[in-house]
Amino acid sequence: MIFLQQLQGELRKLFARPRTWMGYGAFVAMEALILFVYKLEASQQRMRGVVERNGLEFNTYYSSLTITFTIMLLSMFLLGSIYFALVAGDIVAKENEDGNLRMVFARPISRFRLLLVKYSAVCLYTFSFVFFVGVSGYAMAVAAVGWEGGLFVLEPKMKVFAAYPEWWEGAWRLALSAAGIGISMITLSSIAFMFSCFKIKPAAATIITLTILFVDMILQGFPFFKPYESYFVTWRMSAWVFLMEQHLSWPKIIESYAFLIGLNVSLFTVGWMAFQTRDFKT
Amino acid sequence: MLEARGLTKKFGGKPALQDVSFKLEKGEIYGLLGHNGAGKSTSLGIILGMVEPDQGEVEIDGVSVQHNRAKALRKVGAIFEAPAFYDYLSGWDNLKILMSYSGGFDEKAAKEVIERVGMTKRVGSKVRTYSHGMRQRLALAQALLPEPELLLLDEPTDGLDPEGIKWFRDFILQLRQERGITVLFNSHLLAEVELMCDRVAILREGKRVFEGSVKGFQNELPIYLLEAEPQDIAEKFLKNIGSDLLGSGRITLPREVDPAQVVEGLVLAGVKIREFAKVRRSLEDVYMEILNGAGSPN
Repeated sequence: MIFLQQLQGELRKLFARPRTWMGYGAFVAMEALILFVYKLEASQQRMRGVVERNGLEFNTYYSSLTITFTIMLLSMFLLGSIYFALVAGDIVAKENEDGNLRMVFARPISRFRLLLVKYSAVCLYTFSFVFFVGVSGYAMAVAAVGWEGGLFVLEPKMKVFAAYPEWWEGAWRLALSAAGIGISMITLSSIAFMFSCFKIKPAAATIITLTILFVDMILQGFPFFKPYESYFVTWRMSAWVFLMEQHLSWPKIIESYAFLIGLNVSLFTVGWMAFQTRDFKT
Repeated sequence: MLEARGLTKKFGGKPALQDVSFKLEKGEIYGLLGHNGAGKSTSLGIILGMVEPDQGEVEIDGVSVQHNRAKALRKVGAIFEAPAFYDYLSGWDNLKILMSYSGGFDEKAAKEVIERVGMTKRVGSKVRTYSHGMRQRLALAQALLPEPELLLLDEPTDGLDPEGIKWFRDFILQLRQERGITVLFNSHLLAEVELMCDRVAILREGKRVFEGSVKGFQNELPIYLLEAEPQDIAEKFLKNIGSDLLGSGRITLPREVDPAQVVEGLVLAGVKIREFAKVRRSLEDVYMEILNGAGSPN
């Protein structure tokens, strides 16, 4: 019960800060932009070509579900990562910088528990943000093209292709993949959280995290690293796309998520150890 | 109530505290004095478990802060100079969040404490709109909410106006009277410490160089104010009889010397005396003596 009270307080703090909402605003604007592009004749022709080359009917797959999938595929790693890194990078380091931590340290709470509360808040934020993007993107797409239609999935990098003509099946797969993206993005938040526990400025925690993410993405694209791609964090984070496959390959999915969960636990542990051994002068 | 034993701490190889010990009895108000960098904040940091000592230990009511911080701090409240609240939240939300770390928020108790510190009308406003005095009142409220038996005050009256300082002092003294609360008062405002504390310790360069009761040093060797000329002859005479010159015309006389004989001696030496009066020995006098090396370490 007390943990929930503490978590509630942490979420109250998190959502009372304007910068937490910046990401929501940015995504709504970007979704509107993507929808505008999708409504353009040239864009529709391009999509028609891709869908029909695969022997499918364009009218079935030019839908709110397909648009929502595209929004999440294109935006989450590049735009979402900025806000996850910003919020998670701030969560400990900013409170230390502002002096709030010394007020907290006058309380009978262990450092481990304090970090656990903060980490839980970061995970909830990350997860709920991903679902917000999905739901708001879908709502806007419904307003633009109607709710009916199936889901068309094409992700060349991870070699995933799928088509769900029925709305309910497409919606279910989209919801499942949103949960997958949520878990994937928690890894990014965990990296920022770990750095936030170090004795560094909040902005430094954010920048280092984004640097790691982008360097990982760049190196993964090198042909030399192709045989080793599964060792890259961003490749593992892209495993959510496997949840879109017609026939779910659970061993492949579980392997990737086990890797990510293990990495998250390790990142939290390193952050905790750094935080535990630090001195905080009054 | 609180016992600090052999606290030693180095920051980057530089000693911040060297074997500092002190003990607070229940219901006592204890002052920790010293210039900037003397080790006051480090001591407080160790007491709260924010700083890990290289050596030594702090026990609060018999529970070690270093071994069981959460249990040791259960009945502790703390106030810092310029308390850093979550400015973007209301005072009420701040209290709720801080109390969630102390075992839960009791709305009825919070309302009572808020009323007591005179914040009822403003507790719903965002903290960023508060004056320094209001922040200190909110800080007092958050410190009092876990119903502490030990209050740690780190420069709590810094930046307050004289009215605010008096209000704060009276509040703490009343709390002690009502609840028998123990207070560790860390400050460099000597007059405040003298008015509030029963005992004081003085830290210099990380070492405890003095510990004594406020009443004790007030009754110690008296201080005299002497205005005389020519000054050099007067000083020579005073040094000859073993007097300490404290500056600003303040002197001490050895116990065996009769002040009347000093006046007589000065006059016979050709010194004109404009003023000679016994003054109360203040904490400032003791502090300056210690820091100037006149006092003997305790």
